[in-house]
Amino acid sequence: MTIYAYILRRLLYVIPVLLGVCFIVFFIFHVISPDPSIVILGRHATVSQIAELREELGLDKPWIFQYVDTVKSAFTFDFGRSWSTKQEIFAMIRARSVPSLTLSVPAFILSTILSVCLSLFVAFYRGFWPDRFVVFLCVAMMSISSLTYILFGQWFFAFKLGWFEISGYEYGFPDFIPYILLPIIIWVALSLGPDVRFYRTVVLDEMFQDYVRTARAKGLSEIVILLKHILRNAMIPIITSVVIQIPFLILGALLLENFFSIPGLGSMTLDAINSSDFPVIRAMTILSATAYIIFGVITDVLYKIIDPRIRLA
Amino acid sequence: MKKQTISVLIFCLGVSLVSCTQREKSSEKILNLAVPQKVKGMDPIHSSDLYSATEVARVYEGLLEYNHVNPYLLVPNLAEGMPLRSEDGLTYTFKIRSGILFHDDPAFPNGEGRELVAQDFVYSIKRLADLRLQGLGWWTLDGKIKGLNEWREKYRRTDKTNYDEEVTGLRALDKYTLQLILTKPFPQLLYVLAMPFSFAVAREVVEHYGEEFLNHPVGTGAFTLGEFDQSNRIVYERNKKFREKTFPCNSAPDLNIDMKFYCGKKIPFVDKVMVNIIQEDQPRWLNFQRGRLDYIGVPKDSFESLIPDGKTLSKEFAGKGISLIVAPSLDITYTGFNHDEELFQNKKLRQAMSLAYDHRRANELFYNNTAILAHSIIPPGIEGHMKDFVSPYKYLGEESIAKAKQLMSEVGYPEGRNLPEMTLDIPASTSSRQMADYFKTQMERINIKVRVIQNTWPELLKKITTRQIQLYSIAWSGDYPDSENFFKLLYGPNRSPGSNGSGYNNEDFNRLYEEASVLPSSPARKSLYEKMYQMAAEEVPLLFNFHRRKYVVIHSWIKNYVVSDFSLSGSQYIDVDINKKQEMIKEL
Repeated sequence: MTIYAYILRRLLYVIPVLLGVCFIVFFIFHVISPDPSIVILGRHATVSQIAELREELGLDKPWIFQYVDTVKSAFTFDFGRSWSTKQEIFAMIRARSVPSLTLSVPAFILSTILSVCLSLFVAFYRGFWPDRFVVFLCVAMMSISSLTYILFGQWFFAFKLGWFEISGYEYGFPDFIPYILLPIIIWVALSLGPDVRFYRTVVLDEMFQDYVRTARAKGLSEIVILLKHILRNAMIPIITSVVIQIPFLILGALLLENFFSIPGLGSMTLDAINSSDFPVIRAMTILSATAYIIFGVITDVLYKIIDPRIRLA
Repeated sequence: MKKQTISVLIFCLGVSLVSCTQREKSSEKILNLAVPQKVKGMDPIHSSDLYSATEVARVYEGLLEYNHVNPYLLVPNLAEGMPLRSEDGLTYTFKIRSGILFHDDPAFPNGEGRELVAQDFVYSIKRLADLRLQGLGWWTLDGKIKGLNEWREKYRRTDKTNYDEEVTGLRALDKYTLQLILTKPFPQLLYVLAMPFSFAVAREVVEHYGEEFLNHPVGTGAFTLGEFDQSNRIVYERNKKFREKTFPCNSAPDLNIDMKFYCGKKIPFVDKVMVNIIQEDQPRWLNFQRGRLDYIGVPKDSFESLIPDGKTLSKEFAGKGISLIVAPSLDITYTGFNHDEELFQNKKLRQAMSLAYDHRRANELFYNNTAILAHSIIPPGIEGHMKDFVSPYKYLGEESIAKAKQLMSEVGYPEGRNLPEMTLDIPASTSSRQMADYFKTQMERINIKVRVIQNTWPELLKKITTRQIQLYSIAWSGDYPDSENFFKLLYGPNRSPGSNGSGYNNEDFNRLYEEASVLPSSPARKSLYEKMYQMAAEEVPLLFNFHRRKYVVIHSWIKNYVVSDFSLSGSQYIDVDINKKQEMIKEL
C-alpha cells in the first residue's frame, strides 16, 4: 500500500470516529447533563420561559433530529452560536486559539528539545552523579503540584523581582512575548520531570542493543553513537509521545491560562462546561477528536520516514 | 557583520518588549479595573449577570439611575425628571431629555449618532419582550405592561416580529414623551427601568449589525467602546459628545468625597476605562499591589493579612496609601428546605434546626466575623428590615440546643429517632464544602444526620428546579432595593422554576405579599413588610444565615468611588489624580 493510499484510508476513519464522538457528546449532554435552559435563564426562570427557550434552542425536537444537527455541525464545521455568550463559535475559537497556541507551541517545542537533550546527557552519564542528580531532581519536580509552580512563579518572578508581566495578554507580535515568557518557563518546568524520565528510559533501552555494541567495536566515539545511532532509533517512541500531545496543545493549558489571564481555548472550554453551553462543548470535542485522528496519521507517516523498514498496513 | 545584525535584532526586540508594556500615556486619566469572569456580551436585554450589566451600563443608559452618592435613591437620567404617575398607579409618563445623542457609528447616516427620542424606549422595551430574542430580563416586565404580553405571543409562530405594531401600554406620545400603562400597580417599575434590560438602543444599529449587535454597543452613555475582547480586555473611551451631565451635589457625609470640589462638575472625569478580565484572585491582588488596578474586592485568602482585626487595614498597606471601603451587600445567604417533602412541612423541625446552628461561630469561621446575622429574610438598609428584631430561633448557647431537642421531641423525633438522614446539596467549591461540613456537625448536636453532596452549578440548579433535593445552600442578591425582591423567594406562586426554589407556600404570607407588592412606599406598606418579616422569622421557611459585607481596597489616587449593588454606571463619576498616582506608584 502506498503512503498516499494509507493516508486516505486513515482519513476516512474520521467519518465513523466523528459519528461516535457526536453520539457520545450528544448522549452525555442530553441524557446526563442538566437542562441548559435552567442555567441560561437563571433564578427568575418560569415554566413558560423555560419551554420557550427550549424551543428556541431546538431542545424540544425529537432526539434523532437533534443528533442529526450535531452530526451536521461536525461535518460542516458550522458550530453556530454559543448559547451562553451568543457569539459565533467559529469566531470565538479563531480568536482564542491564537493566545493558546502562542503559549503552548513554543513551550512544547522548548520543553521537548530540553527534555531530549537532558535525557541524552543523563543517559551518557548513566549511573554517575549527574544522572542520579537529574533523576532525583525530576522526581522532586514531579512531586510538587502544578499550582505551586504557578503561584510561586507569579508571586516571586513577576511580582517580587518584576522580571515578567503578572498577567494579561496582548495580541500581535512581539507584544504578546512579555506575557507568555513566565507561563512558558513554568510549562517547561512542569514538563521536564516526566519527559526527561520517559526519554531517558527510551534512550537507555537503545543503549544496550546489539547495534550499539557493533558501533563501539567499529571504534566510533560515544558522542557519535549517541547522536547518530541511538537518538535515531529512539525517535519512534519519542515521536509517538510528542505528536500525540499536539492535539492537546490546541485545547490550551487551563491552569496557566487562568492564572495568567491568557484568553485561550482552555478557559473557554471550562466556561462552556460550567454554563452547559452545549454548542461550544460540541465544537471543542469535535475539533480535538479530528485533530487527534490527523496527528495519529502524521505519527504513522513519520515512523515510515524515520524507519523505512516499517510497513504501513 | 553577522554579529552586528544579531545585536541590532536583540536591541530592537528589547525596545519593542519594553515599549509594548508601557501602555498608559502619563497625561491620560485611565481607570484600570478588573472583573473575575468574562463578559458575555453587550446587548442590554441579555445583561442578566452583574459583570455584563456593569459593562452594558458604561455605554448604554436608561430613563432612571441610582444616585452616585446615595446608592438606593433613584434619580432621572435620560428622563428629564421623575415620571408623572396617575392616581390609580397604572399610568407612568416620562419626559425624555432633548438633545441626547447616540454615539457616532457607521449604522447612522454619515456615521453621526442621531438624537434619542421616546420611540427608542418603545423599541428597546419591545426588544426585551420579543420572544425570538429570548431577553433574559423579560421577567422584569412579564405581565406588567398592557398589551405587551399579547404582542409577544402574537409573533410566536411568525417569521418576523412587527415592531411597528402599536402596544396599548407602551407608546411614544410625541418625540420626547413616553407613556407606560400597566396591567396592575407595580411600584417597582421605576427600579426595573434603572436596570440595563430596558436601556435605550437605536433600531437602525440593531438592524445594521443583526446578530453581531451584541459586539457593537452604541448607546448614549459617557463612554464609547474602544476595544472589546470579552475574555481579555475591554477598553472604553470618553464620549466626546456626551451631554452636560454633572456630579451630584447631595450630601454624603459618610463618603470620602470632596463635594465642594466635585459638586456640579461635568462628568466623566477619566479619558479611558480599561476593564481587565482576571479570573484568579492572586493575579488580581498582585496587579493591584503594583498599581495596575485601581481598586479590587479583598481576596478571601488575603483577608487576614490585609485586615488583621477584621475592621481596619494593616499598617503595611495603609502606609502605601491604600484604603479600605466596607459596605453592606443587599443579600442573604440561606439553607433552603424542599417544602414539597412532608418532613420539612414540619415547622417545629425547621425551628429546631435553626436553633441548633451556631451562626456566631460560623461568622468567625467563614466570614472573618464580618457578616451580619440574618434574623429574617430582609437585609438591613431597606424598608421592611427590622433593626432591633431578634429571631427567637437563633442559637444563643446550650439552652438553644435544649430548646431544639424539646421541639424535636414534640414532633416525634426525640433524640433524632425516626428521623431519616437528610441530604444537603451545595455548589462544588472548597468554601461551600467547609460550610456544609460545619452545618453537618451543628445538626449532629441535635442528632440530625446530614449527608453533603457537592454539585456543579448547573446540577445544583437542576436539582432545585426539579425538586430532587432536600436541603441546599445558596445566596440571593437583590435586583433592586425593595423588600418585594426578597419576599418573592417565599411567595407560593413563584415556586421553582422561579425565585421560590424551596416551594414554601403559606396562604397568609401570599396574601400579605400580594397586598404589599402593589403599594408604593408608604407607612401602610412598611407595616405589611414588617409583618411578613416577622412571619418569616417565626415560620423559618429557610434557615436564614447572613447578610454579607463587601470589602474593597482602593488606591489613594482614585476619587469618588462608591461601593454599590445597583449603581452600575459609577465609572463616569470616578476621577483619577494623575500626579498622585505617579508619585505613589513609585512607593509600591
